Amino acid sequence: MDLLEYQAKQLFHEMGIPVLPSQQINHPQDLKGLKIPYPVVLKSQVYTGGRGKAGGIRFVENTIDAVAAAQTIFNLPITGMYPAVLLAEAKYDADRELYLAVILDWSARRPLLLGSQRGGVDVEATIGAMQQVVVDQEFSPFYARRLALKMGLQGELIRSVSAILEKMYQLFLQKDLDLVEINPLAVSSAGELMALDGKITANDDALGRHSDLATLQEKIPHQIKTKMLPRDLADTTLVELEGNIGILCNGAGLTMTTLDLVYKAGGRPASFLNLGSEYRHNNSPEVLRERIQRGLELMMQSKNLKVVLVNTLGNVMLCRQTAEAIATHLQHQAGSRVVPFVVRLVGDQFDEARQMLRTLNLPLFHNLDEAIAEAISLSK
Amino acid sequence: MVQGITEPLGSIYAPLMQVYGGQILAGISPGHGGQQLEGIPVFDLVEQALLSVGVVDTSVIFVPPYQVLDAALEAIAAGIRQLVLVTEGVPPMDMMHLCRVAEASETLVVGPNCPGIIVPGQILLGTHPAEFYTPGTVGLVSRCGTLTYEVARELSQAGFGQSIALGIGSDRIIGSTFQQWLQILDEDEQTEAIVLVGKIGSDSEEVAARYIIEAIDKPVVAYIAGRTLPQSQYTGHAGAVVSSQIAGLGDEIGTAESKIAALKQAKVPIAERPSQLPDLLKQVLKSSTKTSAKS
Repeated sequence: MDLLEYQAKQLFHEMGIPVLPSQQINHPQDLKGLKIPYPVVLKSQVYTGGRGKAGGIRFVENTIDAVAAAQTIFNLPITGMYPAVLLAEAKYDADRELYLAVILDWSARRPLLLGSQRGGVDVEATIGAMQQVVVDQEFSPFYARRLALKMGLQGELIRSVSAILEKMYQLFLQKDLDLVEINPLAVSSAGELMALDGKITANDDALGRHSDLATLQEKIPHQIKTKMLPRDLADTTLVELEGNIGILCNGAGLTMTTLDLVYKAGGRPASFLNLGSEYRHNNSPEVLRERIQRGLELMMQSKNLKVVLVNTLGNVMLCRQTAEAIATHLQHQAGSRVVPFVVRLVGDQFDEARQMLRTLNLPLFHNLDEAIAEAISLSK
Repeated sequence: MVQGITEPLGSIYAPLMQVYGGQILAGISPGHGGQQLEGIPVFDLVEQALLSVGVVDTSVIFVPPYQVLDAALEAIAAGIRQLVLVTEGVPPMDMMHLCRVAEASETLVVGPNCPGIIVPGQILLGTHPAEFYTPGTVGLVSRCGTLTYEVARELSQAGFGQSIALGIGSDRIIGSTFQQWLQILDEDEQTEAIVLVGKIGSDSEEVAARYIIEAIDKPVVAYIAGRTLPQSQYTGHAGAVVSSQIAGLGDEIGTAESKIAALKQAKVPIAERPSQLPDLLKQVLKSSTKTSAKS
């Protein structure tokens, strides 16, 4: 889960990382009660890069300008997203701008400290200037100083920048984060440091043990929430595509394979739903059946849909639940538009499931290639 | 040993593992000590179980995600050096901690979010559906769950039994990597060829390809899922998230193109579909016999 800038800065502040005085603006009229002296920066709170270029960041000198600018920003979509909140922040004169981040290096299975003296908006263009330090054992501040030196910092900045990195690392560890980034970290002419913009990505799997972060999610605009991965029934996510074959599978790899085979054979998927692997700790037959039913309902909403291809593989409860869910679905559908099903169920309970589906006259397959050929011929 | 034996997954799979032929000496479930599950004695604590049943080679862990780290540390502290973590949703920070301890204690960790290991005809340590597997000489190592079953089924039906088959886990941070298992299969006397099953996302297949060039002598064939998926799409769990949002770094890594190019460079034939794997195996086994006949 990505946090918005103002949420990230709140966490920075709690950790003792310097941030500017700021105020959250929920409505343009809120600016009339602004407690920060002008000039002020108004920033659209959407999770995406390039806010400045898109017009989502504006400098204002007085209340009248501020209210007008806020109205404009609230009505300005950035990559399709409208902000629910703006951040009003004091203006800051930076002498230099640095880049700092703590991330998880997935393949090294260690945290990674990143830093560059060329921070700011064009950090992607200066990726070559990025320095890194792997935290291969228990963290200690020397890792941060190692990065500061690699970045080419000198004198007092070595200490002050590594102190910020140390706090970023603490935050990273305490809150189970995937990413803590400060870009830019401003250095004033007096050598003072200030986090001007920040990005935090919380780990979705760990949200269950950080209720404070989970609550923040409610405040994030809806479009971002759809990126959340389905963890339970409420989150059943159907991914919609352009074609006319609905695909229901269990497991990411199997779902991808089924899509690949359909595309390669000249078919066009309308949507796909991954029912998830079977390693969820709390999988129960009821949850599974409910998830399949919900998925089918969502799938049927597509007008282009001509056929549903079900490909599930497993050994404990899945086949039976799939068969039951399909049977229930077809009973509910009786009378309305009937979309044909091509079903492939492979597992220990296949015989039982087959009995159940045979009474519904559904074509059942063992072989994946054959099931796909049948689905495609029905879609033409 | 099965930790979390009274949990939903543990209570389903421990008896299946027992039936398959593995000797499940003990189950662990705090608060359930003294009970029995399908004849398996249940203990409150790992060390307590070991006092009673003697040496345990492997622990298969089914506890809820936030208890996995603790269960694994408990097993390592008691001297168990092979762990299979089945549970999905273990926070990466916990895995990082566990990986450090595992490396220092030379513990082999498989998973999390994985179907575990099966040695067909002998032992099941995880959730593989037994009916898809037959004993043989193909080593199967996969980053997927159900797709591993699919591939095993295709191999078995074409007469290619498996020496060892395992899923190393779909999560971003996993205990043992493709490289470790390629090395184990390369040294395993039962294994004549290796099937590698990957999917888009992460750099696992790219790193594995580099390792194959450097260190693997046995023939390897591969299948990669997700070749037709646009990069921005995901199919529902963390392991499959294709975007590498981290600071704009490494966007290129993880695409199907990047994986296929890396594997081609390692001269690994790539199947277009799971059902093509047996044909590729026939080809590589034929040519490796020729090569060894010449030498």
